[in-house]
Amino acid sequence: MSKSYAILPCNGLDKCAGCISKEVALKLSETSESKIICPVLYRIADARYTKIAQEKPLLVIDGCATRCASKLAIEKGLKISEKINISDEAKANNITITNGLRLGEIELTLVNIINKKLTKEEEKVESESSFALPENIEYNLYKKDKFTFRTPKEGYYFNENDCWAYVIGNKARIGVGDFVQQSLSDIMFFTPPTVGSELEQFDEAGNVESGKAVFEVICPVSGTITAINEKLLEAPELINQSPYENGWIAEIELSDFDNDKDFLLDFTKYFDVLKRKVDEFHV
Amino acid sequence: MANSNVGVLACSGEECLGGTISRLATRKMLEELRIDETVTLCLPLYLAGGEEERAFAKEYPVITVDGCSKCCAKRATEKYSGAVSATVIVSDILGEDVALSKTVSSKDLTEEHYKMVDKVAEEICKHFDRIISE
Amino acid sequence: MSKIKVVACSGIGKVYGLMAREAVLKITNESMPNETETVCLGHIVTGDAEAKEKIEGVSCITIDGCPALCAAKNVELAGGIVKVKYRTVDEMKTHRGVNAGTGTDLSEDGWKIVDELCDKVCVKINEILKEEK
Repeated sequence: MSKSYAILPCNGLDKCAGCISKEVALKLSETSESKIICPVLYRIADARYTKIAQEKPLLVIDGCATRCASKLAIEKGLKISEKINISDEAKANNITITNGLRLGEIELTLVNIINKKLTKEEEKVESESSFALPENIEYNLYKKDKFTFRTPKEGYYFNENDCWAYVIGNKARIGVGDFVQQSLSDIMFFTPPTVGSELEQFDEAGNVESGKAVFEVICPVSGTITAINEKLLEAPELINQSPYENGWIAEIELSDFDNDKDFLLDFTKYFDVLKRKVDEFHV
Repeated sequence: MANSNVGVLACSGEECLGGTISRLATRKMLEELRIDETVTLCLPLYLAGGEEERAFAKEYPVITVDGCSKCCAKRATEKYSGAVSATVIVSDILGEDVALSKTVSSKDLTEEHYKMVDKVAEEICKHFDRIISE
Repeated sequence: MSKIKVVACSGIGKVYGLMAREAVLKITNESMPNETETVCLGHIVTGDAEAKEKIEGVSCITIDGCPALCAAKNVELAGGIVKVKYRTVDEMKTHRGVNAGTGTDLSEDGWKIVDELCDKVCVKINEILKEEK
């Protein structure tokens, strides 16, 4: 039996991707027991959809990187079970969406692809972790007030967004650094990247959220996500406790590390960046 | 920079008014009176083995703010990090009867309570400024 | 029969500590004053004899702010029988995007979450009391 959802599409009229989000929602409601939540009505009169939102897992369909539907869901305190981003799906399927707002054959093909993806019997995508945790990591410390910021001295690459990659062969493990977890304080939510999705360097690879803020994980490397840290789904606080080890976020099969490396920082360079950020920030 | 920081460790006790006042006076230091230089240390975390809290208290001066004469914050700091730079005991400032009276929820605080907080915070500031100037 | 002890962490740095504190005050002063009482965590951990006597071998409920679980760990170490451990940060997980306030003051939403938690804890306390009869 196929899944049924409470669907919250962005339904945007700024780009065709918003129109596609509406079409995906309509098709899904026709091919399954799913129900649509109108984002416009929901914003001003949410009581109408309370029952649907409670009874069914929530599927959010964003048109583009602005993620209006996701933001509305968060604003209303809804737990998001699944997310689709139309622009990302188009890219992943090598489809170029029209600049207009009318859906043509190409856009309708994309709608069908996404609908099939959502309605097929759950095939467990192998989420295999193939890493052994590095042993005896040596950290350099930087202290401010009572807070200590740790940075591993070897084996880790960083981007300026304080995300790291640990590379072994043609695979890498990614995560967020100590600065992120200290700034966020208690991390309560973890939205992982999708296993099987292809990311360019600096694409978003999920996010982590505390009571203070949502932090988008900016992927330090290009490649295909092969595994996520499923422990974080139940215990996102692992990121606070061990951001470089047990709090890893995802594993990725690298596609272009030789080029990606040019835009990454080793420990020495990143440590300087970290010190500057810590000195400027009141934790 | 970091050298002007002073730790303030409140007992935050739940059994008497002194604990509530100690907590609020400490928060006032952090949020209003000495914003950039105050580092609040969490007593429960400190007692449960919080390494960062204990390490800070070893390196920097600490003022303990206790609700009553049992001085939990002071004794804990002395046990795990060494001598304290100053001690403020709410029952010494407000009197034992007041400090040991029943604790109050933050939604039931009155003008009188806030005046007590100010009085205790003033005392903390005196010690704070003395420590900074040394 | 001795009262069930409800112990908060009262952590000062985060709103979660204040939520834990207020939840315990509400339960022990308003909701179930005849069946429950609180014990100061500072007294417990510094080995105060009176506090130790209240806790040792007695059914306790702890309400912590965050995953550090300071109250739960220390009450157990002192010999209390912790029947249930709560963390206010877990309550926040079902109120995504809500601002509960600061370590000094709770917002209106923060108070609602505390009230919900108190109701939950009181149900549990009644279950424990039934078991112990």
